[in-house]
Amino acid sequence: MEDVFSNFDLVLKAFWLTVQLAFLSGVAAMLLGTLLAAMRVGPVAVLRGVASTYVTLVRNTPLLVMCVFVFVASPNLGLFVDTPFLLKGTIAISLYTAPFVAEAIRSGINAVPVGQAEAARAIGMTFAQNMRHVVLPQAFRATVPPLASTLIAMTKNTSVVAVFGLTEATARMRDFVNDNADDTIAIFLVFALGYIILVELISLAALGLERHWKAAR
Amino acid sequence: MRLTRFKVAAAAVLMASSLAACGDAGDDSVDGIDVDVQENAAEEFDEGTRMRELADSGTIKIGVKYDQPGIGFKGATDDAPVGFDPEIGKILAADLGIAPEDITWVETISANREAFLQKGEVDLVIASYSITDDRRKVVGQAGPYYVTGQQLLVKSDSDIASLEDVKGTEVCSVTGSTSLSNIEKEGATPRPFDTYSECVDQVLNGTVDAMTTDGAILLGYAAEHPDDLKVVVDPFSEERYGVGYSIDSPEMCEWIVETIEDAQEDGAWAEAFEVTLGKSGVDTPEPPEMDACA
Amino acid sequence: MTVTDDVPVGNSAPRSGEPLVELVDVQKWYGGLHVLQDINLSVGRGEVVVVIGPSGSGKSTLCRTINRLEPIDSGQILVDGAALPQEGKALARHRADVGMVFQSFNLFAHKTILQNVALGPIKVRKQAKDAAEAHARELLDRVGVAHQADKYPAQLSGGQQQRVAIARALAMEPKVMLFDEPTSALDPEMIKEVLDVMVDLAERGMTMIVVTHEMGFARTAANRVVFMADGRILETADPETFFTHPESDRARDFLGKILKH
Repeated sequence: MEDVFSNFDLVLKAFWLTVQLAFLSGVAAMLLGTLLAAMRVGPVAVLRGVASTYVTLVRNTPLLVMCVFVFVASPNLGLFVDTPFLLKGTIAISLYTAPFVAEAIRSGINAVPVGQAEAARAIGMTFAQNMRHVVLPQAFRATVPPLASTLIAMTKNTSVVAVFGLTEATARMRDFVNDNADDTIAIFLVFALGYIILVELISLAALGLERHWKAAR
Repeated sequence: MRLTRFKVAAAAVLMASSLAACGDAGDDSVDGIDVDVQENAAEEFDEGTRMRELADSGTIKIGVKYDQPGIGFKGATDDAPVGFDPEIGKILAADLGIAPEDITWVETISANREAFLQKGEVDLVIASYSITDDRRKVVGQAGPYYVTGQQLLVKSDSDIASLEDVKGTEVCSVTGSTSLSNIEKEGATPRPFDTYSECVDQVLNGTVDAMTTDGAILLGYAAEHPDDLKVVVDPFSEERYGVGYSIDSPEMCEWIVETIEDAQEDGAWAEAFEVTLGKSGVDTPEPPEMDACA
Repeated sequence: MTVTDDVPVGNSAPRSGEPLVELVDVQKWYGGLHVLQDINLSVGRGEVVVVIGPSGSGKSTLCRTINRLEPIDSGQILVDGAALPQEGKALARHRADVGMVFQSFNLFAHKTILQNVALGPIKVRKQAKDAAEAHARELLDRVGVAHQADKYPAQLSGGQQQRVAIARALAMEPKVMLFDEPTSALDPEMIKEVLDVMVDLAERGMTMIVVTHEMGFARTAANRVVFMADGRILETADPETFFTHPESDRARDFLGKILKH
């Protein structure tokens, strides 16, 4: 245990990497997920097909397999060789998370009464304007709780890259466990606490957003 | 070398991750050395010893690594594992009058070696099994039959020649391993991976600059890719591989030590090295001096 | 289509016989159900046409085809001489010129009243925010809800919401206004405030196609009444003629039911 506290800078550095991974992947997954959701409800049949194929394909693929694809298989084919590991981690995690974001948003879009979109079309909004100004703002409100769940799951999922070249919190924990076999439980608790803090921050942000939007109605 | 293992179940993972590594692992491997199987070996041992029981039964279960080329490796289609550790196992079995084909090979991973010995799942563990005081509290470890140390595996054209050169580079090993912590202290960015084969892939395709772990393991990979990879820098840690046995059969220690010392003297040890780790082109080292049994 | 002289004429937009909206041989099916059959209708500039008929007659569908909220299977719909475009930017431009008021108001729930009215002009017409909001306030004043400008739709009564919806459509300065049963979802005491706004609009010379059961409005404001049943237009007449001497049995039957009380 002294080992953990005397090397606490390593713990913080590892969690900082976890935070970076979660933040970058979260932003990328939200953007890609929103795009996928819009494609799925959009008027272009080809895009609907592309988006729904992507969602089906990736949602049924374990994150570990996605990571093998990005970190191991792709470099063997000459892809992503010079890509920084943090970026590869972001790519793998956000590609994996985007379909879940898309489905959460799509359920939110479906919760917006159809009359809202019709009214927007009736005043001459294009599909993109309709999404941007009318449907998505309302969909996001209905989507905050499932999106928060998705982002929390994603934050914890960042631990998978512990075996793909990134010394984030879980990889660091395993270093400590390996060196201090007698203190496994205590080390586990320290790192679990770190994850709990991160996840609680997301929960609180979601709660704050919900309250803010409730007040705005 | 203590390692934590991350169990990968998905077949797809295994397939994808071994794309490059497994290609020639089994192809050019030789059958190993010829051992002289003792006749009437049972008579050599006293009644009631574990050696006598094994000799009487005519079979032995030996735990080895299946994923470390040169040390202990078994391809999906191979009948038996090959490597320096299995060769040592054959030498020991032969002394009990057990022919190589009568050995039952069991895959052990770093995390289950003590448990397998304690539960009697295996009679011996010969699996890049470093001797440590902690381990000697729960299992017997005779040896060392081989001494290695942490080194670096780099591409043949790499500029890394000394330990100072790793500063600022990316070096991979297995997640949670001591090697990774050690290289991080030398100023390299540690790149943890699940398996050695994924790690060596990263070196081969140029994603990371080097791989680090016990030199013996690195030599095995270098032997697999003699044109592409080389092992560099003097060992900067000492790992002493021992033969694990049950702590309930302390009489095995003397037998293991004597048998391996015989093999060191009559050249079987050197032969075992040459047909396995020696294929990387490295000179056969002087055999290490074995610890005295307690 | 000529317009009779005995209708109230607004102070702007002189009426002419020039057709603004034309439906030619329009057919539409829902699966096996032929919901619009051989629809031919021409609405002149400045004309107010009321479409009535029993429920399921296709009158709402007819209304919604004119800005292509419902696509048609064959035939042609022309607005101001131009055929309806397919999906895409051209259709969006077309819709901007055709105002629509829905039965259930459909105000944007996450926007204030003022934002509801100004959103289209700002985003679609690319007007400056200040100008769009100033115009929006004028329109809200005209429909009598100016003091509610900063509230959200849910805080308004149904009648107020529908008047805002009319203002929202007018903000786009449409060539024609479609009303799809604008008072059907309203409590009785709120119907008049909405009808008053519509009558005012008619008097100002707006071209209007109104699907409604409000016979009072039809009598007061309509130039023509179109009677639909089973997906067909059975009768077209000026209100006085239609209400006093309906030609078809279906129309007589329908009028008998709704005018009884």
